[in-house]
Amino acid sequence: MSLVPHLVNGVALGLLFALIALGFMLIVSVMETINLAHGSFFALGMYIALVVMSPGDGASALLSEYRSLTVGWRYAIALIVAPAIVGGFGMLLEVALRRTYGRDALYGLLLTFGAALVIEEGIRAVFGSTEKQLPLPDAVSGAFMLGDLVYSKYRLFACVFAAVAIALLWLFLQKTPYGSIIKAGAHDSEMVRALGINLARLRLFVFALGVGLAAIAGIVMSPIWGIRPHVGVDAVVPAFLIIVLGGVGSFWGAVLAALLVGLFVGLSGAYASEWSLLSMYLLFIAVVTFRSRGLFGKKSVLDV
Amino acid sequence: MTQAAKGDGERAVANGDDPRGRACSDKPSSPRDPARRTLLGAVAVGLGGATFFGPWKTNHVWAQAAQKKPLVIGLTMDASGQYAASGGEERLGAMMAIKEFNDKGGVLGRRIETLHMDTETTPATGSRVAERMITRNEAAFLIGGLHSGVANAISQVAQKYGCVYFNTNSSSPTESGKDCHRVKFVWDGNGTNFAEAIVKNAIKSSGKNWILLTNDYVWGHNTSKATRTLVEANGGKIVDELMIPQNTRDFSSYLIKLQQIKPEVVAAAVGGDDIKALRQQVVQLGLQKRMAWINNQQDWPDVYGLGPEQIFGVFGTNWYWMLDLPGVKEFVATYQKVYPGMAIQVPGNVYYNGYVATRELLRCVEEAGTTANIAVIKKLEGRKMSARDRMQTYDAWIDAATHQCQQTIYMATYNDQPKVKDDIFKILTQSEPKDVMDADAPKACKLETYEATPTYET
Repeated sequence: MSLVPHLVNGVALGLLFALIALGFMLIVSVMETINLAHGSFFALGMYIALVVMSPGDGASALLSEYRSLTVGWRYAIALIVAPAIVGGFGMLLEVALRRTYGRDALYGLLLTFGAALVIEEGIRAVFGSTEKQLPLPDAVSGAFMLGDLVYSKYRLFACVFAAVAIALLWLFLQKTPYGSIIKAGAHDSEMVRALGINLARLRLFVFALGVGLAAIAGIVMSPIWGIRPHVGVDAVVPAFLIIVLGGVGSFWGAVLAALLVGLFVGLSGAYASEWSLLSMYLLFIAVVTFRSRGLFGKKSVLDV
Repeated sequence: MTQAAKGDGERAVANGDDPRGRACSDKPSSPRDPARRTLLGAVAVGLGGATFFGPWKTNHVWAQAAQKKPLVIGLTMDASGQYAASGGEERLGAMMAIKEFNDKGGVLGRRIETLHMDTETTPATGSRVAERMITRNEAAFLIGGLHSGVANAISQVAQKYGCVYFNTNSSSPTESGKDCHRVKFVWDGNGTNFAEAIVKNAIKSSGKNWILLTNDYVWGHNTSKATRTLVEANGGKIVDELMIPQNTRDFSSYLIKLQQIKPEVVAAAVGGDDIKALRQQVVQLGLQKRMAWINNQQDWPDVYGLGPEQIFGVFGTNWYWMLDLPGVKEFVATYQKVYPGMAIQVPGNVYYNGYVATRELLRCVEEAGTTANIAVIKKLEGRKMSARDRMQTYDAWIDAATHQCQQTIYMATYNDQPKVKDDIFKILTQSEPKDVMDADAPKACKLETYEATPTYET
C-alpha cells in the first residue's frame, strides 16, 4: 500500500485545519481572549451561507433574478456575505466582552462559552436539527483521477482556498498599515492607545475579522463535514489544540501545527485507524510535555 | 455543545401541546395543598408511630398513592452528541404514546408525566441520569437509548434498583446478549438481525471480498463481528476492518485506503453524525459506484434531508413510513397533526420504535394493574404483538430468554421513483423474525432471576 497518497492527504487535511484555526489564532493573539464561540460562528457561517445560496421561495423580482444566478456565483456571494454577517454578530459579542477586559480570564471564557450555547440553540430553533447541504458549483463537484486513485475536486478546491487564505492573512498582517496596527496592539496595547489609535475600535475590528474567518472556514468545510447545529464542536477543539501546539501568538507556528496534526490524523487513519482521532491529542501531549509554550511559543504576531 | 436542557431535568405532562415538553415543578403538590397539610399533621402527631408504618420510603409511597400521584416516566434520550438528531425523534415517539394514554385519563387513573435528561451520547452521563431519575425523581420507568454504550450503562443502574428500562433504538447484539438484564427490554432489530437479512444475498450479488467499516464502540464492534461471522460462513472473506472513532468528520484516509484495497463490498456499521459525513464524502469521490455498499442499519434522522445521490447502497430498517400496511397512513397523519412544522416531516424508524415501545409498556402496566416491576416484566416476557398492531409485515414477540423484540426486518435502497416527497426508500426484502433471529443471544444472555431483581414500584 503506497504511502504517498496518505502523505498528500495529510498535508491537505492540515491546510483545512489551518483554515479552521486562523480566526481563533487572530483573536487569541491580539486580544488574549479564548473565544470558545469560535465553533458556533463556524456553524453560523454555514447556515447563513445556506440562506444566501437558497434564499427561499419569495416572489419578488430581485429574488427571482438572484435565484437565476448560477450556483457558482451564489457560492461566491455567500463566501463574502455570510462572513460579513457573522462578523456583525462577532462585533456584538465583542461589545459584550468589553466588561471582561482586564479581569480574570475566566469571565471571558464563560461569556464566550455562554455565547456558543446561545448561538447553537438559536441555530437549532431557526433551522432545526436535521442535516443540511450546501449546493456546490459544478466546477468543484465530483472527482478526478490521479494515478489510479480518485480524489475529490472539492477537497482540492478547499485546500487551495485554505492556502490562499493563509497567504492573504499573512500579507495583510505583514504588509498593510492595518496589519501593523493589529500586531502592535498584540504587542503593547497601551502604547498603541498612547499613539492615538482607538483601541476599542481595533479590538472590534479584529474580533469581527476573526469570527468572519471562522465563518469562511465553516462555508468551505460544509460540503465535507455536513451542516448541523452542533458541528462547531468539531471545529473549536482542533482549533484550540492547534493554537496551543503551534505556540500562542505565532502565525506560522499555528500553520505548522495544523499541518502536523493533519499528517498525524491522515497517517494514523490509514495505518492505525482506531487511533486517528486520538493521534492529534497524543501529538499535543508529546510536544507540550517537552515544550510547554508550543512549537513557536516565543514568537508573536510581531515576528511573522 | 449541548442543548439548554443539558444535564438538567425537564419535566412535563405529555399533552401534545408542546413536543419539547412543558417545564413544571418536580413536586406533584405544594405544601399548601390541604390534603398534604392534613397528612403532614397526621405524621407530626403520630411521630411515635413511625416504626409501625415502616421505613420512610414506604410512608412516602402510601401518601403519594392516596393523592393519585402522577406516574413519572424518565426519558433517557440523547439531545447532544453523535445521536442527538435521533434522540429528538425517539423522544417525540415516546411522548406521542404517552399523550394518547393521557388523553384517555392516564394509566391506572394516574396522569403520566415525563422527565427528560440529555444522556449526551455518553455512557457516564447515562449512568448519572439513570441514577438521578430513579433515586431523586422517582421515575417509574426509564425509556430511551440510541447508543449501545449508553443503553448498557443505563440498564446497569436500572437493574441495581429494579426499575424497568426500555432500550428503544440501540442495536448492539450485546444488548440482548451478554449485557441483557431482567429489567431491560430491547425494541429495535440488532446488528445480527440485519446482517442475517442481507449478507447471504449480498455475497451472491456483489462478491466475496468484503471490508468492514466499524464505528469504534460496542455497537460497531459487535455488529461487524456478526457480519464477519456470516460472511465467512457463506464463503466470503473479510479483507480488512477499519475502525472509525466516534465523531470522525474526515474520512479521506479511509476512502483512499478503500481504493487501494479495492474490496467488492463495503459493510459499514457506522451511525449518527458519522454516517452522514461518510455518505457525503463517499459521493464526492464517486466511490458508491465503484464498490457495493451496505449499511447495517440506517436510522431515518441520519438520512432524512440528504440528496438522492447520498442515499446509496443497501441498508436495513425495521419500519418505513410508506409501507403499504394497515394503520401506517393514519400513524403518519397523527405525527404530522401533533407535531406540525417539524424539520422531519414524516416519522421514521427511530420515532416508530419510541412510540410502539412506550405504548406497549403502558398497555402492560394497565394489564398488570400495577406499576410493580416484576408484574410488568412478566407481562412483557413472551408478549405477542400482531403485525397489524405494530404496522409491520409479520407478527412480533418479545423473546422471554433475551428480552429482545423479534420483528420484521426490511432491507431497502434509494427509491428513484418516489410517489411523493420523502418517499426515499425502496423496500427490497422483508424478512420474517424467525429467519433473522440472533441465535447466539440466548446463549450469551443470562437474565438475573426475579429474586435477584430488587422490587420497585412508585
